[in-house]
Amino acid sequence: MTGSLTQRQLRLVKQVCWTLSLCIVAVPFVFPFLWMISSGLKGPSEIFGRPSLIPTAFRWSNYLEVFSYQPFAAQYFNSLYIAVTVTVLTLFISSLAGYALARLRFAGAALVALFLVSALMVPEEVTIIPNFFLIRWLGLSDTHWPLILLPVFGPQGIVGTFLMRQYFLALPKELEEAGKMDGLSRFGVWWRIALPMSRPALAAVAIITFLNSWNLFLEPLIFISSLEKFTLPLALSNFTDPYGSPLWHLQLAATTLAVVPILIVYLIAQRQIIESFALSGVKG
Amino acid sequence: MSSLTLRNLKKRFGRVDVIRGVDLDVADGEFVVFVGPSGCGKSTLLRMISGLEDVTAGELRIGDRIVNEVQPARRGVAMVFQSYALYPHLNVRDNMGFGLKVRKVAPAERRQRVKEAAALLKLEALLDRFPRELSGGQRQRVAIGRAIVGHPDVFLFDEPLSNLDAELRVHMRSEIAALHKRLGNTMIYVTHDQVEAMTLADKIVVLRDGCIEQVGSPRELYERPDNVFVAQFIGSPKMNILPAASAAGFGQQPTGTAHVGIRPEHLSLVAPEKGQISGKVVISEYTGASSLLHITIDSGETCLVLVDGDAPEADVEVGLVADFGNLHYFDADGTALRKSQVSG
Amino acid sequence: MTMKPATGVTVRGERAPWLTLKMREAIEAWLFISPTLAGFLIFFAGPLVAVVWYSLSEWNLLSQQATFVGLANYNDALFRNPDFWLVVRNSIVFAVGLVPLNMALALALALALSRRFRGVVFFRTVFFAPVVTSAVAWAIVWKFLLQGEAGFVNQLLAAIGIQGPNWLREPDWAMVAVIVTRVIKMVGLNMILYIAALQAIPRDYEAAARLEGASNWQIFRMIIWPLLGPTTLVIMVITTIGSFKVFDHIYLMTGGGPENGTLVLAFYIYQQGFQFFDVGYASALAMIMFVIVMGLTVVQLALRRRDT
Repeated sequence: MTGSLTQRQLRLVKQVCWTLSLCIVAVPFVFPFLWMISSGLKGPSEIFGRPSLIPTAFRWSNYLEVFSYQPFAAQYFNSLYIAVTVTVLTLFISSLAGYALARLRFAGAALVALFLVSALMVPEEVTIIPNFFLIRWLGLSDTHWPLILLPVFGPQGIVGTFLMRQYFLALPKELEEAGKMDGLSRFGVWWRIALPMSRPALAAVAIITFLNSWNLFLEPLIFISSLEKFTLPLALSNFTDPYGSPLWHLQLAATTLAVVPILIVYLIAQRQIIESFALSGVKG
Repeated sequence: MSSLTLRNLKKRFGRVDVIRGVDLDVADGEFVVFVGPSGCGKSTLLRMISGLEDVTAGELRIGDRIVNEVQPARRGVAMVFQSYALYPHLNVRDNMGFGLKVRKVAPAERRQRVKEAAALLKLEALLDRFPRELSGGQRQRVAIGRAIVGHPDVFLFDEPLSNLDAELRVHMRSEIAALHKRLGNTMIYVTHDQVEAMTLADKIVVLRDGCIEQVGSPRELYERPDNVFVAQFIGSPKMNILPAASAAGFGQQPTGTAHVGIRPEHLSLVAPEKGQISGKVVISEYTGASSLLHITIDSGETCLVLVDGDAPEADVEVGLVADFGNLHYFDADGTALRKSQVSG
Repeated sequence: MTMKPATGVTVRGERAPWLTLKMREAIEAWLFISPTLAGFLIFFAGPLVAVVWYSLSEWNLLSQQATFVGLANYNDALFRNPDFWLVVRNSIVFAVGLVPLNMALALALALALSRRFRGVVFFRTVFFAPVVTSAVAWAIVWKFLLQGEAGFVNQLLAAIGIQGPNWLREPDWAMVAVIVTRVIKMVGLNMILYIAALQAIPRDYEAAARLEGASNWQIFRMIIWPLLGPTTLVIMVITTIGSFKVFDHIYLMTGGGPENGTLVLAFYIYQQGFQFFDVGYASALAMIMFVIVMGLTVVQLALRRRDT
């Protein structure tokens, strides 16, 4: 080699520069999480003091205060059980419908599919006002029912239906036919053959449905008024002093509690989760 | 045990007629093979019998029961699929016992039936394996085992050997033949491979474009094809079809003959001046026991000739002599003219 | 040995079935689809019809009475209420700011991360993390970071001698802040869509072009970019529609302020309907939103059809 750098060294330098610049770009993506965790451990006085990622004194008591300030445990549980319920119902209902659209021949199938697709294109803000009156008329205001029913039967459920349909279409038909020959009913074929083979699609639907429910904001804001019925997203913005200014140390501690478990699961299953979003292709 | 009757059976997908009026009688215990080129409707016909496709028109009887609208599992038939369709999440034992379980057969009897079938198919050692751990031939046997345990009246096979390599295919072919002998059930078998059809069938049904071209024993189809299509489809290498004029040298033809058919194995080579017709070897394919010659005859057509042992090289002039008893005559529509019609 | 069954298992019902196979299949299909369909009719189709009716009515919330007023609500929005056009302007500014920024960043990240190298999974994970985070949490944390003087961002700027604005209290800066933080939150989604599209491009194309001496830029410009066309179109429409639907982010970061500087359509509908209880007017706004989104969708479909 001629004096200067070898090919190998050159590649290495390039690689390092490349990685460094990506790291810089990554700062606004990562730093908010770190700062959230750090600030959630600071006292109200330190929180706007000289910036430091490591708190001078770790105030773990913030985390206790979060639970005494409002019924945060109940709120946390609400979010959890609602998200699980929505996920299970969505999996069931959307895979049933997706199966019918993928496999069964019936007059009107194309029309049904078209109707459902059209619902995907309409933002929920358009129908939220009549839905508000519908829910009130049903006597379900300030209950968790609207937070379950609207997502299950809303765009999220329809995305699930089409995801499942797409997956069922790609499955080999002969297995289901063998099931039919073996004496399974249609429901049996779906439940015992089609579903067990569709785990990746079910996982994808479960992931996006769960996250969607976990992060739901507009519906709780509109339908829920009792503190103990709040879900996490509502509860998080509710740590305020009597004048309505945020109590940052509590708010950030609570936010940490809401975000970190999801992030941990995300880090463990990042490939699966990212793929799920890529599959669904629509959100946000 | 059951016979099978098809009366003017039709199937239409949207605007396409896939099966266009099929009549067929299958006797109890018969081994029937549906054969034909791809797209001829043979698989569709089988699936109509199984109930996986519904019948557009006509009548389908299994035994003395009309089953047009009967659900697949209630027809007394079992099917072996091309891809075997073994449940990937169940082991061999559970795959074979699945249908019995669904039909609520008592566990003891279920075990007994699976055991019997496994013994019959030499699957005992594999009962705890999963489909992905089996070779192609083993999967095939499990698929057959699954069909057996239900004690169906009729077995349906949908191109069951097409995913196997050549050697295994020959082996499984003989196993299926042995199985039929042993069980004595009615079996219907779909294939596009005419060798498979010839070796297995009591009765071959040749299909084309959703219609039956001919039904008969392998020998009948080989010796007395009803038309040019069947003549060329059955037998390998396929039958030479020559215009009547070009084949005049082979002897007298019935009135109305438009084409004359002669199988490559029924032509023999002689010296050029001694032949009924003569020609020149274009290609000589040596395959060991025999050679296949492509010969351009004087009238310009290409003729295949199968000769044993040594064969002339390309560019050699040869004479051809036909075995008169094995000549086939067809009219302008391609329909066979029978020997009895030969004048003089 | 023969395997003649003593008792066949296959059921041989003698009774003629009273349903044809076709009818049976159709009934099963409708049963399978009925929960979804019922939900669709109750929570989507019905409300969609209702919102049209609402938008043509004046609602008195005290008496719960609706009076038909024709197009008065639309008239209010389009010609009488100056807020409406401010909202439209804000929504457009938001979309025009967000969509190109989001897409450019998504594409750049995707180009950087579509190849295998040490750490690629780490970076993908990092850039996608905000997508799985709740919008509420993201907004809270960024609101905190963007506090006036004491906020971290401004302290950081002060450290290098720049006096940062009071981000969320000045209308123009507030708009910049919500756009940028929203882009950071959502760019990961478009990034993975782009990565998927990039990985679907056969590497042979690039190799062939390189053999012919094309530079990196030429390869991108003449091969990759055109092949990404359909994806770019889909992403553009999804992102644009998404930008019209943004609600929680703005609700939490700025509350539509300051001076209505970040009041966008989705928020305006919420405000009119659920804070001021002007149901008729809010419904008219919802219909206008519906038309805009439908328009965008139709444009997308038209473009896509022309493409293929």
